[in-house]
Amino acid sequence: MIIENVIKECQIKGRKNPKLLILGCAVMEQELRQFQNGQTEFKFFDYGLHRTPENMAKSLQTEIDRASEGDYDGVVLGYGLCSNGIVGVQSQNKPLIIPRIHDCITLFLGSPESYREQSAKHPGTYYLTPGWIEKGQTPISKYESYAQSYDEETARWVLHEEMKNYTRIAFIDTGVYPLELEPYRKIAHQNAEFLGINYEELPGSPLLFKELVCGPWGKDFLIVEKGQSIQQEMFLDL
Amino acid sequence: MIHREKKFNSVRIQPGLGEEKFEMTFNRLQQAVFLRDCKTVKTLTERMVMDGVDLFEILNQGLIPGMLEASERFRRGEFFIPELLMSSRALKIGLSILRPLIQEIRENVLGRVVIGTVKFDLHDIGKNLVIILLEGNGFEIIDIGVDVSPEKFVKAVEKNRAQILAMSSLLTSTMSWMKSTIELVHASGMNGLVKTMVGGAPVTSIFARNIGADAYCREATSAPALAKRLLGIEANGQTSFVK
Repeated sequence: MIIENVIKECQIKGRKNPKLLILGCAVMEQELRQFQNGQTEFKFFDYGLHRTPENMAKSLQTEIDRASEGDYDGVVLGYGLCSNGIVGVQSQNKPLIIPRIHDCITLFLGSPESYREQSAKHPGTYYLTPGWIEKGQTPISKYESYAQSYDEETARWVLHEEMKNYTRIAFIDTGVYPLELEPYRKIAHQNAEFLGINYEELPGSPLLFKELVCGPWGKDFLIVEKGQSIQQEMFLDL
Repeated sequence: MIHREKKFNSVRIQPGLGEEKFEMTFNRLQQAVFLRDCKTVKTLTERMVMDGVDLFEILNQGLIPGMLEASERFRRGEFFIPELLMSSRALKIGLSILRPLIQEIRENVLGRVVIGTVKFDLHDIGKNLVIILLEGNGFEIIDIGVDVSPEKFVKAVEKNRAQILAMSSLLTSTMSWMKSTIELVHASGMNGLVKTMVGGAPVTSIFARNIGADAYCREATSAPALAKRLLGIEANGQTSFVK
C-alpha cells in the first residue's frame, strides 16, 4: 500500500518514475550506481560508520532531515540492520525504503537465502568485494593500521585475537568490475594467505541492488511510513 | 602467588595510609587498566594486595571501573578493537593476581557458568572478557567456545550441572539462536535449574525480554553482578535487568 503511495505521489508530480534519494554505504557505490536513472540521487557514506553503530544512525538521520525539504518521493537506505546502526532513524515526511537484511553481504550475494546458506556452511567467513577492498577494511589493512599505533608484536596479537576464528576469505564477484577485477581478486587472495585460511570465490548478484534503486521493493524490502522509526524487530523473524 | 601479611579481608585502610592516598591508588589502577598498561596493573594490584586492601575493593573500585571506561569508549567509537583487547589483557593480569586469593577466602566457587557464542557466530572478544570477569569474581566457567548449537549448550549445562547458561552473539542474524536455546532449555525441563543470561553488542533489553532470558547483560563489566543476583547472592552495581 505504501509503495502505491510512493507511486501515486510521483504521478501527481507528473513523474514517470519516483524521484528517490538513496543513502548508501561507500562499499556498494559501484553496484548501486550502475542502475542510476535520471531521477535518482545518491549520497554515499564512509565505511567507518560501521565501527560505531551510534554514529551511523546520527549521520543517516542528519541526511534524511536535510532531504525532508527536497521533493523526493522516498528515501532509500543502502544499508541493512547493520548491527542496529539504523535503529531509531526516521523520516518526518517521506517513506523510507530499506532492504530487510542484516548486513550488506546479502545484497552482494543477491538473496537472504544464499547468505543463510553460506553462513551455515562456513560461519567463519570474511567476505570481500572490490568495493569493500577499496573503501572498507581487509585483514591486511587492519593489521597495517594496528601496526601504525602499536608495536609489531602487539599488532599481530590483536589481529590474531580478532581473526582467529575465521576459516575462509570469500571474494564475491558482483559483476560490476569486469575489467579491473583482477587486482581486487589478487588482494583478496593475499589476505587469505596472510591469515593462512582458505580462499574461495562466490558469484554475486545484481538483483537486490537493482531492486533497491528501481523497485518494486518486494519481500526483501521494508517500507517504513513517515514519522515511524526503524526498529530492530522489523528485521527479525522470531 | 603473593603472600599477604594479614588476611583481614575487611581491612580497608592500613595505619599510616590516608583515605586520600587509597582513592588515588584506586584511580591509578583504573587508569592503568583503561590505558592498557599491563605492567602498572600488575605492580599496583600486587602492592595493594600486600597493603591489605580488600580484594573486592581492588576488583570493584580499581580493575572493573577501568575496564568499564574502556568499554564505554569503545561503544562511543573513541576506542577500537585493539584498545579493547589490550585493556582486557591488562584486566586479566590484575585478576590473575586476585583470583587465587579470592579462592582462598571463599573456598567454594560462587556458581558454575556454561558460556558460549551462539550458533553460526564466531565472535568471542566480548565472551572472553565476560569469562575473565566471572572467573575473577569466583565463578567456575565452562567455556564451550563459539558456533554453539542449542543442543550443545543444553548438554553442557546438564553435564556440568551449571546454574547459569550465558550466551553471546555479535550479529543480528545469529541472535535468534538465543531464543532457540532458551526454548530448548525449557523443553528439557531445566527451566528452574538453570538461569539464562544473554549479551552481545546487538542484543537489547527488549530482545532479551522477548525471548524469555532471565538476565540481560548490557556490557561485559556488569556480568559478575548480574550472575550473583541470578543466584541470589547480594551484588551492587547492576545495570541491566534480572527477571
